[in-house]
Amino acid sequence: MNLLTAADEAAALELLHHTECTDGLPVVIPTRERVARMVVATGLDGDLDLGAMGPGGGAATIEKIATNAVMAGCVPDHMSVVLAAIRAMLQPEFDLGEMQGTTHSTAPLMIVNGPVTLHCNIAAGFGALGPGHRANASIGRAVRLCMMNIGGARPGVSDMALLGHPGKFSFCLAEDEASSPWEPLADSLGAAPGESTVTVLGAEAPHSTIFVNDADDPNSPQRLLRSIAAVIANTGSNNASFGAGAVAVALNPEHADVLGSAGMARADVQGELCRLATNRRGHLRQLNPGFVRPGDDDDAVRAVRRPDDVIVFVAGGSGLYSAVFPSWAAGAHHNPVVHERIVTDEACEIPFATS
Amino acid sequence: MTLVTDQFWSQGDFVATSSGMPDIPRVRLPHPVAGTGHDAMGQLAEQLAGKIVGVLRGDVAPDNAA
Repeated sequence: MNLLTAADEAAALELLHHTECTDGLPVVIPTRERVARMVVATGLDGDLDLGAMGPGGGAATIEKIATNAVMAGCVPDHMSVVLAAIRAMLQPEFDLGEMQGTTHSTAPLMIVNGPVTLHCNIAAGFGALGPGHRANASIGRAVRLCMMNIGGARPGVSDMALLGHPGKFSFCLAEDEASSPWEPLADSLGAAPGESTVTVLGAEAPHSTIFVNDADDPNSPQRLLRSIAAVIANTGSNNASFGAGAVAVALNPEHADVLGSAGMARADVQGELCRLATNRRGHLRQLNPGFVRPGDDDDAVRAVRRPDDVIVFVAGGSGLYSAVFPSWAAGAHHNPVVHERIVTDEACEIPFATS
Repeated sequence: MTLVTDQFWSQGDFVATSSGMPDIPRVRLPHPVAGTGHDAMGQLAEQLAGKIVGVLRGDVAPDNAA
């Protein structure tokens, strides 16, 4: 690894900004000692290479990832989550290089499940994707800095997002398992009960979905599903135009309870959202004819191909708003969700330190 | 060889280098091409076809250094 030198930390920060190693915000200076501490926390060899990160093809070694984690403000305990997220994004079906280079605004949304969320204090409730949650902010930021400094993504050169979105700084939260009427999201994706995992989807910023429950209305669950499906099928999204890709749906605990109390399992919700999230082919043809496949104008065209492409999880404070995260829906694999176990049994205890 | 529009010229350089083909011949197109209409795209094709063939044959220098 190339070492930079500077007279002091203020000069080092300016140097890191100048060499485009930051996300534009101040970073913790990755001194040799801080990086070494972060590497030790993983219990892995610093030279261990997890793979080539696109689009630049940089080697994602443990030491490089640790360097970016230091810069992002992570504490050693966060490393297991950061490493799992990087491993997930290096899965070929994630199409990381293409995703980083697209003009779409996609960013990796990271949903963490399991005991690690409590250990690292990863927020799942009010404002979980907003400011004020150190673990969420630092872990997500570490992944972004890896995408820039290892993957080589730079705006307007190799990251061609026309506008981007604030989730490109950090986009990480936990599922609120305690408030969910269902098994953890991770379990539904094949994780063993009690396992910690991270689920990653290249996604747009959250699209708010308002819904007011009426316990006296037996149609409330169906109204809620239709409200969410309408946002999934919004004709500005790539999903609606391409009829492909995954979408994530963050149900707030109140909305999740409406569906759970109606006897719906997570799979039922996924199935209904997939079925309901449609547009008439003729309507799509009026908007973006180049994307529309041949067929009758009255056909209902699905925004997602199959129920498993609707990732349903519980997060946020209770209230009127849930959220939909459309995806890029492109790339060789059409932007699926990826999933990785968070390995904590290799980690070493490192005393908390900020120096 | 590759055809790259003005706005993506830097990305073309980046991808060529990171793919291990830094010298792959590149021809610069105006931006945008998509959406400019059948006639405009036809005119552009007429304007550039000879150059593209020339670059493929090795008779014409690509725009790499431009």
